[in-house]
Amino acid sequence: MIGEKKFYLTQQGVEKIKKEYQDFKKLKLAKVAGEVPKIWQSEDINPEYLSFQEDLSFLEARMSELENVLKNLEIIKIPPKGRQNTINLGAQIIVKVNGQTDEFEIVGSLEANPSLGKISNESPVGSALLGHQVGDEVFVSSPIKTTYKIKKIRYLVS
Amino acid sequence: MKNNKNHDILKPGEILVLFIMKNILNFLLEVGKLKRKKRRGWILHQIKNPETTAEHIFHLTILVWTLGKEKKLNLERAIKMALVHDLCEVYAPDLTPYDPLLPKDKKKIMVALKQWPKFTLALKRKKEKEKSEMELRSLDKLILKLPKELKIEMKNLWIDFEKGLTKEGRFVKQADKIINFLQGIEYWKKYGKIQHKLWMRWIKEIIDDPVLIKFIKTIEKKFY
Repeated sequence: MIGEKKFYLTQQGVEKIKKEYQDFKKLKLAKVAGEVPKIWQSEDINPEYLSFQEDLSFLEARMSELENVLKNLEIIKIPPKGRQNTINLGAQIIVKVNGQTDEFEIVGSLEANPSLGKISNESPVGSALLGHQVGDEVFVSSPIKTTYKIKKIRYLVS
Repeated sequence: MKNNKNHDILKPGEILVLFIMKNILNFLLEVGKLKRKKRRGWILHQIKNPETTAEHIFHLTILVWTLGKEKKLNLERAIKMALVHDLCEVYAPDLTPYDPLLPKDKKKIMVALKQWPKFTLALKRKKEKEKSEMELRSLDKLILKLPKELKIEMKNLWIDFEKGLTKEGRFVKQADKIINFLQGIEYWKKYGKIQHKLWMRWIKEIIDDPVLIKFIKTIEKKFY
């Protein structure tokens, strides 16, 4: 039997998801009772939450996603000092790619946002970089040869 | 003598239907502009007769339908999301990853496109936030007069696409990059003006969906 997919999240990511789930639970209960809870009247509410307010099926779809994540999550932890010279989940790295310097953070799929430099550990580049150290040259298999030379690794995961 | 035509004596319910129809017609006329809006990234690459936003939406929708079957997606949701994802471009500018670094001089633009654009993390965040806010404002303007349920559905689908809130949202977001990549590779083969090596590098950093990773390998086999 194939196991459920694991979701790797930073502690911050886990807290965010837990809070979102609790907020949605309150909203769903209130909607069933025909009310709008106070949190939804706050001005500083996340704008994306507002879209859930009037669409129960969207709210339920999102809640089901969150339940699945919370059931199958693994928190990304800072590796012990002796292993911080190796790229693992949560590593912030500086690389030289074909002569151009770039900066990435290796994160789980749910927190990946390449336009913010957050690369998924399941992407071809993210998975190729895992386990490497400063000074290593990583080749990503492709018809085009791309070399990632690792210049710096650090961990700031909270 | 007064000419009493039927439409002069409509019942309130019929007036409402006509009002809704008028607003949907206006919406469709605005959306139709995307059939003529040439995608800016290709214009910058000096591609002749480039793809329009509507053509891009069409191509993405077909990709989502066909490859989405490989995954257990809610296909109706995913297909609608693909249809909605770029409607904001009726009013919002079609930004590229190179903005705002591009020089005004057309000749210098081709030189700038030879390197992948570099931004600090802070600037990346700022750009993303501004782009998302501007696009949401544009979408709000476009759908403002649509019937409430339709308006909510379109806005929710767009937000899901932007934020990747559901598995459909995450799949369509990545599929959007793949279909753009495929178009770039087609233009590279035809005109040779695309920095395909940079594109290949980029796509392997941003895609992590297993089905789409397999699809990239299929594209590689076909074109290399």
